[in-house]
Amino acid sequence: MTAVHPAPGPGSATAQQPSRGRAPASLLRGLLRALPRRLAGAFAVLFGAATLAFGALQLIPGDPVAVLLGPANTTTPEVREQIRHQLGFDQPVFTQYLHFLGQLLRGDLGQSYQLQRPVAGLVAEQLGPTLQLVGSAVLLALLVATVSAVATAGRRPGLRSLTGAWELVAVSTPSYWLGLVLLTVFSFHLRWFPVAGADGFGSLVLPAVTLALPLAGTLAQVLREGLEAALAQPFAVTVRARGRGRTALVVRHALRHAAVPMVTLTGWLTGSLLGGTVLVEAVFGRPGVGALVLGAVNSRDVPVVIGVVLFSALAFVVISAVVDALYTVLDPRLGNR
Amino acid sequence: MRIPRPGPARVLVPAVAAALLLTGCSGAKGGGTSADAGKPVAGGTLTYAVDTEPVSWDPHVSTQDLTAELQRQVFDSLVSEDADGKFHPWLATSWEVAPDLKSFTFHLRTDVKFHDGTPFDAAAVKANFDHIVAKDTKSQYAANLLGSYTGTTVVDPATVRIDFAQPSAPFLQAASTTYLGFYSPKALADSAAKLGQGGTADVGTGPFKFVSYSKGQEAVFEKNPAYNWAPPTAKHNGPAYLDKFVVRFLPDASVRVGALSSGQVQVAKAVPPQSVATVKADSKLKLLTQAQPGGNYNLWLNGSLAPLDDQKVRQAVQRGIDVDLDVKSVQFGQFPRAWSPISATTPGYAKELEGSWPFDQSLSNKLLDEAGWTGRDGDGYRTKDGKRLTLVWPQLTATATQQSRDILGQAFQADLKKIGVEVQRPALDVGGYSTLVYGGKANIVDLAWARFEPDVLWLFLNSASDPAKGGINATFLPDAQLDEWTNAARATLDAGKRAELYAKVQKRAVDLATVVPVYTPHALTGSSAKVGGLSFDSDTWLSFYDTWRTA
Repeated sequence: MTAVHPAPGPGSATAQQPSRGRAPASLLRGLLRALPRRLAGAFAVLFGAATLAFGALQLIPGDPVAVLLGPANTTTPEVREQIRHQLGFDQPVFTQYLHFLGQLLRGDLGQSYQLQRPVAGLVAEQLGPTLQLVGSAVLLALLVATVSAVATAGRRPGLRSLTGAWELVAVSTPSYWLGLVLLTVFSFHLRWFPVAGADGFGSLVLPAVTLALPLAGTLAQVLREGLEAALAQPFAVTVRARGRGRTALVVRHALRHAAVPMVTLTGWLTGSLLGGTVLVEAVFGRPGVGALVLGAVNSRDVPVVIGVVLFSALAFVVISAVVDALYTVLDPRLGNR
Repeated sequence: MRIPRPGPARVLVPAVAAALLLTGCSGAKGGGTSADAGKPVAGGTLTYAVDTEPVSWDPHVSTQDLTAELQRQVFDSLVSEDADGKFHPWLATSWEVAPDLKSFTFHLRTDVKFHDGTPFDAAAVKANFDHIVAKDTKSQYAANLLGSYTGTTVVDPATVRIDFAQPSAPFLQAASTTYLGFYSPKALADSAAKLGQGGTADVGTGPFKFVSYSKGQEAVFEKNPAYNWAPPTAKHNGPAYLDKFVVRFLPDASVRVGALSSGQVQVAKAVPPQSVATVKADSKLKLLTQAQPGGNYNLWLNGSLAPLDDQKVRQAVQRGIDVDLDVKSVQFGQFPRAWSPISATTPGYAKELEGSWPFDQSLSNKLLDEAGWTGRDGDGYRTKDGKRLTLVWPQLTATATQQSRDILGQAFQADLKKIGVEVQRPALDVGGYSTLVYGGKANIVDLAWARFEPDVLWLFLNSASDPAKGGINATFLPDAQLDEWTNAARATLDAGKRAELYAKVQKRAVDLATVVPVYTPHALTGSSAKVGGLSFDSDTWLSFYDTWRTA
């Protein structure tokens, strides 16, 4: 990539203009061209995810009805048989699988065994707060990481090692513990934020910060490395030679180059965060898909597990589509391949 | 990773991390007497932080204590029971019991209305009891409480008769619990499939209406302004004092305590042992605690499987565990050790068992020698015919750390190793655990079972409580006398006679060494000093009907 970098022409502002104007068009074009391939891919991913989840749940040992009922054993054998029959556990596994796929194809995610509620509604209800949390955490992390990296890239070793230290601490702090510390300080003592729940902005701040800090640490490291690599390239010297300031160079030129790996990483992290919010949600008493899927796996509530898996797979598909599209905006050459 | 699984069943008893010794905290019981909460005031919202979340909100289905405790605010019962085990009228003004205890006739109040306006009457009682035993309801506990129920007869709108195939003395106690509470027949007919979801589908006659439920976050209840049928065991009549009652789900113990001390919630369930001192030292807070009634935390020894099919080996295990020391050191001296399979607060408790089977390592060694386990292998364990003396005691991963039971188990392991007995503790999920334990393939099973009724002894010890038939008799040791006495106690309402029978049952279970009683779990709840009228009922569940909150 370094070798083929297009050297900015004289008057870099004009040189950038066309690519900026091209951005929305190329984004749309890229998306449209890839659409059939993407849809087929998405379908394959969803099918695979559903099948894997179904298979994995079958591998858990023990009678599924017993698992569903928990360890109390005060249910009569008649009722157990009734449950077994109603949930189709008396059918061969393959029949259950086919039945399940048929349901999925009709767009029906089924009903939770445990909670007696339609899975789609259940997941939708729990997905909202999780998306809110993950979304704000990622935005916050990007902001913090960008500021930190831009401010320190290529600077004195002292400043660098200082920011490097906070990033390392942020990355290695368990989010569970971080959440407790933030709660103790900002909720229990200062009383700035409510302890729990998911009503309004106030209740989002602490959990979002808890999730964002480790993320910001990782992203800042990647971004700074990218920035420094870009700054070491010939074009940086050219820009500086034209009398541009360091900040302008970093923000207007280097950032774009460094952003590609960061976008990849952000996409991947966002996807994995969706399921990784369990602990933070538990600490802050927030609803969310994390706790939902955990409870469902423990009680082998197959429809709920598969419902969440499908939604997560879908999220990954969407995120990777967005990431790919962003590549072409950030670096138009990638779109012409 | 400590991830609280919603809904461990009754065996697991609510996650009470620890409790004070009875002596240390008797003053805190019945927090309503606290000076600073003053006289009852109407109005306001009270927030209650709990540690888990009901899996099903339907008390007719669920086995969870939490479901019963929270839904107590929404559902009333036929009768109420006081702390002495005496029954009082509630939705029934009076009742007659047939001499054979196979039929109970209740005379009902005629002024009671469900939240949806439907009147409460004999037909409503029938609809509910029939609903509980219907196969489609898939009841996991309430149907069991109804026992040998054969049907309900509507004698007239204000009179109803419940019939049983067997004498059913414990029925009145069961009828006083939330599990046999009453839904509006309209709700049963219209939204049967939604009862477990919580929220407005749950229509009862109680002092609070279930307004909304947001999974993972909170459940909201509002005062029923028409309520005027409180039982005499309550401290007032008429509507509840609180306008609103909110339950927040905060699985993390330190978050619950922090929320309590910062005034964001007014009552917090399951205060952890390390926070007990903090809560007690804070003048803005108070601590409520009460011993749980019913089955203690016990080890049940499987008498159908070698090597515990030999009574001498069972006895050696019973006397070879230093229960006093282990319970005291592992649980910070916060739980009293147990001598009987039922707790001291349960009616019919046999006090004479206290001190009757002390820790005695040399006796254990003698018994094992007599039983023929005289060899020793390289690891120092006893052997017989070349086989090591090994006991399998499965632990359920979801709840292993509750009340430090995992560490307690390690202490027991160490004790038993000293007499040459190896204890294996495989960690299993519910599926593997149920198969092993209720399939009779485990040597030791540990569990507690809260119920304010010595009939739990029937559940543990009567051979009809066969795990293959949905029972929990994990001793797998049919004993004619235990059967006879637990059956006979079901066939009389004479408290003296029942106490005598249950005392014999407790003693025989200990003598047969089919049980090693360990400790009595305590409910431990933190509350703001500004909350008044809050106390546990006989099941150690909080009722919020008499509760008020000052600013």
